[in-house]
Amino acid sequence: MQEEKLLISLAKSGDKAALAELVKLYESTIYNFAFKICRDKEKAENIMQETFYSMIKSLNQFEGDSKLSTWLYRIVSNHCLMGARKLKSSNFVSLDEIEDDENNVKELAVDWDSIPFKSTENDELKKILDDSIKKLHPDYRVVFLLRDVEGLSTEETASILELTVPAVKSRLHRARAFLRNDINEAFK
Amino acid sequence: MKENEIKCKDVVNHICESLGEDLNSAQCIAIKKHLGECKNCASYFKTVEMTIDFYKKYNVELPEDAHDKLLKSLGLNT
Repeated sequence: MQEEKLLISLAKSGDKAALAELVKLYESTIYNFAFKICRDKEKAENIMQETFYSMIKSLNQFEGDSKLSTWLYRIVSNHCLMGARKLKSSNFVSLDEIEDDENNVKELAVDWDSIPFKSTENDELKKILDDSIKKLHPDYRVVFLLRDVEGLSTEETASILELTVPAVKSRLHRARAFLRNDINEAFK
Repeated sequence: MKENEIKCKDVVNHICESLGEDLNSAQCIAIKKHLGECKNCASYFKTVEMTIDFYKKYNVELPEDAHDKLLKSLGLNT
């Protein structure tokens, strides 16, 4: 962390080697996160590039009161969500259909232990995971990814996405329920 | 919410809080107790956790030439 602060300070003063070191520190995280939102390796590489462009351009505005990673997640999320707004909403499922219904539990309870391809190295499972998350509107997808997959707190997620904490919880609950149910259907 | 009033619907409603947030609240303790007694909810809860775990473990490698391409495009290559 101290090392990161020093790198940021050097980078702000125009030290290219420090900037390159910061890029190296975060490129894999940013590429993975962009891929997880877009589910497309080429787009992920472009978003990674745009994110670091933005980082370099506005690093002087970074005051260090949050982690640099949180700041970068915000930039990636904004790039991805801007791209998603150009897509038709009919490309995604309506999560209004997810109801907090007791039947959600009863009808969909399936023993996943019997699934033969549970390793995430398995291409069949990867396809199921890609197909399911692509159906989620990016506004929901990004909440699920920041909170559950990247492990940010509800408050950090809310701050990055400029949402209220209850809105994050609501989107997270619906995203989790949708993904779980959609994967469950694919396993049948 | 009283412990004996917990229903499957409450578990679905509050699964957000019960996964990683405020695990010691009275509500979460009641939910965990219900999960121990209700096979359907336990199965639901477990599969939501497995869903999250699948996505956590699904990572991609940065392409071999991506680092050099990136530094070049940013004007940071030496």
